Amino acid sequence: MVSDTAGQPDSPLVDRWTALDRGWQALALGLGVVAVHAAGQVAGVF
Amino acid sequence: MGVAAAARSYVPGLALLAGGALLSQVVAGAVDGLQPLVVAVGVGALVGNTVGTPEAAQPGVGVDKLFLETGIVLLGAAVVVEEFLAAGPTVLGLVVAAVGGGLLLAELIARGLFRLDGTTPSLLAAGASICGVSAVVAIGRVLDARGSAITFAAATVLLFDAVTLVAFPIAGEWLGLTGRQFGVWAGVSMFSTGPVAAAGFAHSPEAGQWATVTKLARNSLLGGVAVAYSLAYTARSATDPGVRRLWAEFPKFLLGFLAVAAIANSGLLSPAALASIGRVSDALFTLAFVGLGLSIRLREMREVGGAAVGAVLVHLLAVSALALAAVRWLL
Repeated sequence: MVSDTAGQPDSPLVDRWTALDRGWQALALGLGVVAVHAAGQVAGVF
Repeated sequence: MGVAAAARSYVPGLALLAGGALLSQVVAGAVDGLQPLVVAVGVGALVGNTVGTPEAAQPGVGVDKLFLETGIVLLGAAVVVEEFLAAGPTVLGLVVAAVGGGLLLAELIARGLFRLDGTTPSLLAAGASICGVSAVVAIGRVLDARGSAITFAAATVLLFDAVTLVAFPIAGEWLGLTGRQFGVWAGVSMFSTGPVAAAGFAHSPEAGQWATVTKLARNSLLGGVAVAYSLAYTARSATDPGVRRLWAEFPKFLLGFLAVAAIANSGLLSPAALASIGRVSDALFTLAFVGLGLSIRLREMREVGGAAVGAVLVHLLAVSALALAAVRWLL
């Protein structure tokens, strides 16, 4: 697949992300932030 | 489109939101008692109604609702579950009564008192009773409403979002409500999620949390209301099966909020990590509220019809007066 901008190939990641309902996107981002904090805690940052 | 190319189109808008958020922090820091989140809405509204949002910034600015919903998911980290469980049945009872009674009242007022017909009364009732513009659009889809009717109802709801965003915090201060009372009152009475959260945080952080949680409970009823409307209008259009419709309209980020609240209350995360998550949530709210301000269009609001404004105003006054009496009595 080729996108309309600069002839770059479509990224499956971008396609999947944009196809998601906004509620699922928010859920994923929120849990991602919590996961980063949990990892930071294990690494001794917090 | 590659990840970098896709991200590039969002940069100007995100920079605009970030600039507005930084300015809000600076202004709020300089004036005692001023909440950055309230300043953020003001900064956005000022820019949106003077110079306007540049075309190149539109995609990035449109991310504001994602920031709002992610901020709400992370707000789960600040929730003390015991406190909410204790007040839960009362608040849930209030929410169900406000949504059910509010829908019927709005339909009665719009059709009986203001002689509005077609799908407009139902669109106004959904917007005023559940979750603002998103409810108008969702119920508009269910009822197969005309695009112009949806736009008209959405503009009416947006007008009241802007007015209540200013009026509720002033009224809350004047009435001497506690944070919990004000939050639940705003969460039950106001329309769209962003303005409810902004009004709550304008009163106090505690009110902001209660307002958001109460509003989330209201939003979660959208699926049920969509099914009820599709049944009431069966002759009008084909609709999805009930359970599918319930799930389609259910705000999924609510599940994230509950998951983060469960993680935060399990004791897995340290107080420092929870405080940091709270700061990320605050930052996302500030960005979202700049976007909320940018979306307020004072000129478009003058074009809203008198009958619709009258119907929604009578409904708002009745529901907020009853809700005020209830929160003072019960909370």
